[in-house]
Amino acid sequence: MSLSKFKRNYYGYFFITPFIIGFLIFGLYPVYNTLALSFTDTTLMSKNADFVGLKNFTRLFADDVFMNAVKNTWIIWILNFIPQIGIALLLSAWFTNARLKIKGVGVWRALFFLPNLLVPASVAALFFAFFSFYGPVNQFMVRFGFLPEAMHYLQSVPITRGLVVFIQWWMWFGQTVIIVMAGMTSIPVSLYEAAMVDGATAAQMFRRITLPLLKPILIYIFVTSLVGGMQLFDIPFLLTDGRGSPSSSIQTNNILMYMKFASSKGHIGAASSVGVLIFLMTSICALGIFYFLRDKDNSEIDKSARRFFFKKKSA
Amino acid sequence: MKRLSFILSLLVVLSMLLAACAPAATEEAPAATEEAPAATEEAAATEEAAATEEAAADLEGTLNVWAFTNEIRTMAIAFEGLHPNVDVVYTMIPMTNGEYQTKVKAAAGTADSPDVVALEAAFVKEWVEADLLADLNELLPLTEELKTFPSVVEVGSYEGVTKAYSYQATPGAFFYRRSIATECLGTDDPAEVQAMVADLDKFVETAAKIKECGTGDYFTVGTPGEMFNPFLANREQPWIVDDELVIDPMVEEYVKFAKLMRDNGYESQATQWSEGWFAGMNDTLKDANGTPKKVFSYFLPTWGLPYVLIPNSKSDSTDTGGDWAMINGPMAYQWGGTWVGVLEGSPNSELAKEFVKFVALDEENLTNWATGVYTNDYLKAIDPETPDDQAQAPGDFVSSQVVVEKITSSFDGSDLAKWLGGQNSYAAFAQAAPNVNGALLTGSDDAIQRALNDPLASYLNGDITEAEMWTQWLDAVRNEFPDLLIPEPPVTE
Repeated sequence: MSLSKFKRNYYGYFFITPFIIGFLIFGLYPVYNTLALSFTDTTLMSKNADFVGLKNFTRLFADDVFMNAVKNTWIIWILNFIPQIGIALLLSAWFTNARLKIKGVGVWRALFFLPNLLVPASVAALFFAFFSFYGPVNQFMVRFGFLPEAMHYLQSVPITRGLVVFIQWWMWFGQTVIIVMAGMTSIPVSLYEAAMVDGATAAQMFRRITLPLLKPILIYIFVTSLVGGMQLFDIPFLLTDGRGSPSSSIQTNNILMYMKFASSKGHIGAASSVGVLIFLMTSICALGIFYFLRDKDNSEIDKSARRFFFKKKSA
Repeated sequence: MKRLSFILSLLVVLSMLLAACAPAATEEAPAATEEAPAATEEAAATEEAAATEEAAADLEGTLNVWAFTNEIRTMAIAFEGLHPNVDVVYTMIPMTNGEYQTKVKAAAGTADSPDVVALEAAFVKEWVEADLLADLNELLPLTEELKTFPSVVEVGSYEGVTKAYSYQATPGAFFYRRSIATECLGTDDPAEVQAMVADLDKFVETAAKIKECGTGDYFTVGTPGEMFNPFLANREQPWIVDDELVIDPMVEEYVKFAKLMRDNGYESQATQWSEGWFAGMNDTLKDANGTPKKVFSYFLPTWGLPYVLIPNSKSDSTDTGGDWAMINGPMAYQWGGTWVGVLEGSPNSELAKEFVKFVALDEENLTNWATGVYTNDYLKAIDPETPDDQAQAPGDFVSSQVVVEKITSSFDGSDLAKWLGGQNSYAAFAQAAPNVNGALLTGSDDAIQRALNDPLASYLNGDITEAEMWTQWLDAVRNEFPDLLIPEPPVTE
């Protein structure tokens, strides 16, 4: 008796055990360990470490290096996210529009997605070579009279930041197009047909039908992009000197964390304190997005759905 | 009902599978710094033809060697030739943006720890001062036998314990183009040109002459960055004294000098170690309009000759070989150098010590190394899989005075001397080497000096003021060294 009863009630737990174990070891433990390290002065180059309380955190706020990194990260992410979602919505609307009937949608979509397959290291190296002082961009700009003389692109704050933003946008908008298109094609055509019968314009249909029904997808893109954006590392790290030059203008949170980790003594304690703050910041923002963009209408549907299921179960 | 529960459990399994992948993906960032080195290559698996005599065939085992260039691999193959039962697994990680330093630091003390590490002058002190390298004092008597330059031993020692040895001594020199000197200065004679660049004032005068004579198409140097080392070598004090950062007057002098070179158009504005900088060595430098530009001189040390200048002096259409001369330049200095040490706790410490002894303190190896014995044929006889560019060209300046004295005359009239228009570089370096001062190196040099690059570049470019440059640099240093006392910037608004 006991075996069959056990099976029926608990066998689900067996299925989730591997995940729970994996999560505890690879997910929760590093978070805990980072938190623990952030209160110590542990370094890679010495064997002893002491508990130093909040010293690592107070040091981060003693000068504006950390806040500058936070600012850079947000600037780069916002400037990349707005055009990314905008272009993705526009392209998806065109591609799914029944009236436009654009040919070769699959080909376009694949082309837009291609940059995402490139290795960030090679993309950064390519842009570095293009925009170096003796590089092809300078030759083009000077020979065709756009610039009076060659300039150091990668020593200009707006140009370097702009390049990072552009590379991030270029590498990721294809991915966003694919997700948004998937969301748009899943909206029932009958809704649009009904709207057309009622005389709605294309803009009205987009605002009243497409956007509301796309909301869950948009929230997903928003949150994943935010999490990725707060952890931006490879392109800005590789584009210049790995310290976020010029004038620390592309020094992101993660580059600062890595710099502390890779500093001459390897201050992993100080690096962990940066990691902890990035984690807190990202979590708060992600929860904020969920809270403010939660679907107030949908909660009604949820309730009725729940009622439906419970009724069925009790029956 | 039953079907529903079946579907639900299926979903659970699926989501479990998907979720199990998720943590791995989010952990990517920290994992990337610890993962096994990208460029691991086994230096040799087969040693069929051990051509050389088998002096000590008793050694056996596998040795993990990490380095930031391929130089030591040549010696590793030669070492395998002597000891056929030894397998050296060689890993090369480039030093770009401090990648090598970080990898070694992260690996030390873990299961992935290498046995032998190569350490560059910029960070060797950091390791010698920390407690991660094994005590190699027992090899000290050999340095007396070989009369190793004292400064080389000094750099590898801390508080009476020597932990790292080097096969090189690295006095610096000033290499210039004979054709430009003849055209602009009226002579290409090394003694006369030396008189024209004997100190900084004369150097600037000469730079002005060269600019005028080339109507702006001749630059005196490629970058001011290569002149940082001469200035650093002539400081009174090291970067850190009693836990306080010292901004020596020579550092301020350097900033002034670099600005002067830039503002007057005496330097090419190329970035050191970038294409433009190398292009100047073989006369293929062209500005954005396609106008050819020439670079008169390069500040490079001993290793700069065989590894940087000579390999880059040839392009598809040009060859500047033979048009170079070598003098001391405005200031005596040293630059770089590779030390080797054994990591504490290495399971192969005896073998590792033998390897260090072979690399840095073996008369025969040093002689072979400097005189070009390690050709491709020689190396391929030991390991057929040796890459084609592994051969060691003659001319690297070694750390043993015994070897230097023996081989100096062999460079008279050699290809190397022809490349320098008949000068024997070895003899010149031998004169400069005893003046090298090892006491200025400290463990923090690398990080402090790298932090200055970007603020200085922005200042030279005119994007920020000098005061802003100092503040940015001091902020960066403070972030690297939380416990260091940072002085006020020398210039404020």
